[in-house]
Amino acid sequence: MPNNSTVMASEQLPVEGLTDPVWVRIRDLIYQVSGIYQAENKFYLLVSRCHVRMKAVGARTPREYLDFLMARPNRDAEMRNLLNEITIGETCLFRSMPQIEALRKVVIPSLAEAKKKLSFTKLRFWSAGCSTGEEPYTLAMILLEETQTTLKGWTFEVIATDLNDRSIAKAQEGIYNDYAVRYVPPDFMRKYFTQSGSGFRVSDTVRPYVTFTRLNMLDDSKMLFMRGIDAIFCCNVLIYFDGKSKTRTVQHFYNALLSNGYFFLGQSESLYGISEKFRLVHFPGATAYWKAAESIQKTGAA
Amino acid sequence: MKTGSLDRLRSRITSIDAMPTIPVILRPLLRCLDQPAEQIDVGRIVELVSYDKSIAAQCVRMANSALFGRAQPVESVRTAVMNLGIWRVRDLLFSNSLSQVIPANRWIVDPVVFWRHSLGCALVCRKFAEIIGYADTEKAYLAGLLHDIGILVNSMVVPVEFRATVEKASREQIPLDEAEFATLGFTHSDSGRVLGEAWKIPHDLVQAIELHHDIGDPGRGGPLVALVHLSDLLCRLRNLGYGYYEPRQVDFANEPGWLYLVMQFPNLADLDLARFTFTLDEYAKEVGELVATVFAS
Repeated sequence: MPNNSTVMASEQLPVEGLTDPVWVRIRDLIYQVSGIYQAENKFYLLVSRCHVRMKAVGARTPREYLDFLMARPNRDAEMRNLLNEITIGETCLFRSMPQIEALRKVVIPSLAEAKKKLSFTKLRFWSAGCSTGEEPYTLAMILLEETQTTLKGWTFEVIATDLNDRSIAKAQEGIYNDYAVRYVPPDFMRKYFTQSGSGFRVSDTVRPYVTFTRLNMLDDSKMLFMRGIDAIFCCNVLIYFDGKSKTRTVQHFYNALLSNGYFFLGQSESLYGISEKFRLVHFPGATAYWKAAESIQKTGAA
Repeated sequence: MKTGSLDRLRSRITSIDAMPTIPVILRPLLRCLDQPAEQIDVGRIVELVSYDKSIAAQCVRMANSALFGRAQPVESVRTAVMNLGIWRVRDLLFSNSLSQVIPANRWIVDPVVFWRHSLGCALVCRKFAEIIGYADTEKAYLAGLLHDIGILVNSMVVPVEFRATVEKASREQIPLDEAEFATLGFTHSDSGRVLGEAWKIPHDLVQAIELHHDIGDPGRGGPLVALVHLSDLLCRLRNLGYGYYEPRQVDFANEPGWLYLVMQFPNLADLDLARFTFTLDEYAKEVGELVATVFAS
């Protein structure tokens, strides 16, 4: 899984040969296997990350690396290594502002309106594959802010799960370095963090809203218990799953969501070819998958 | 638009001197491009570029920009045109000629934002047309480029009211056409139609301008209207909008325009829309370069 890390020096350097058509083939292969898309304006990033892996495996040209990436027996392991490189440094608080804006300005008001009609005043979010806790704490801070306005008088909880015990322990500590908090808006920094040595500690006003639990998403018996969720966030996790596991896990997510619930992936991740039950919806600068009420009626899903 | 308002709007627009005039270069350019790509006369394009020294200079500057990374500096207009390619030169010509439609001091919306949106919409519209197999991809491009020309009319004809409208839309984060209808009683789609008719541009383009926000019965305007409507929406959702946040959720697959296009072009149903959306960020960069080139002069 991607870990918080410093920005690689290579990312800052101009990379030659961006026009080599083999990069497009590597980009398409990554998309086909993982669902992560690297737009051409971010090719420099893809190329610099591939160069790290090329050096590691001794490939001299993009073509040689593509061959290595496609050949058995190394292809699965190498794709995993490459995905790790691509997603490195993506784990931080307030990672995607367009997604956060969509949440605050569209998703939360829409969920609140629908639930209010049913006399419910509680929201439940799930950060699936929460790694070291950056995402669930971000969500809790956003929801806390909204309790001043849209969610006045509401309660909420954020369930945060991960497979890795060490990640969960780190998440529970809730202390982050300045790189992890680089996108946190200043007013959120002031309100929800305290200085702790050289790091920043998530304040006690946020912590009670987040519950960390170890969960293997491939464990059907455990996934069956996840129900009644309003929004799921699963960023850069499904990219490591094979096709069948991905389909099964997404079905669990679908079942866990209440009708009108939302499923957010990473900023450039897609569910194309994985599930047709969800509807792809667009917000300014962000996309999500939506469990529409009609499709629930059609499929009879929970 | 309110009943009877179109006639009043038409007479108001045509009775005053402020009506934007069609750029000199636009008609010959449209004629020149109105044929299959392989038959386009490059010499004629070079000629059109050379008419205007500032456009010629922009072509040379763009051909020498980092985007193209030439080893040898490009000095002649002809070499610049060849290096940029006909379509990029066309983008430059159109945005130049159209940006001269109204004087620089009469813009109500930021011209950079306006051209980023119009050019972005043109590129998305053409790409969409290519994907679904709509034959006239260049018409789709033009429809995307021209769909908001009513904004130019409103800036010239009702500047004070239109400024208040733009501010209202931005402040309340509502679509511009909604704010226009509330404050002016007509929208830029209506005034764009009047200008399109005055400029005598083809009827289907005028329809795309008129119906791009409110497509009503999608069969009325045909695929071109649906293409422009969806491309406009996509651009506004992917950093190529009007320059302010429009909080909204769009389910494209259930938009009337999309459903209509799927009936006409069944392969649209197989489009990986998520991936298509991600590629729009690539357009944003290209459009940004182009608009920066035009406005750097």
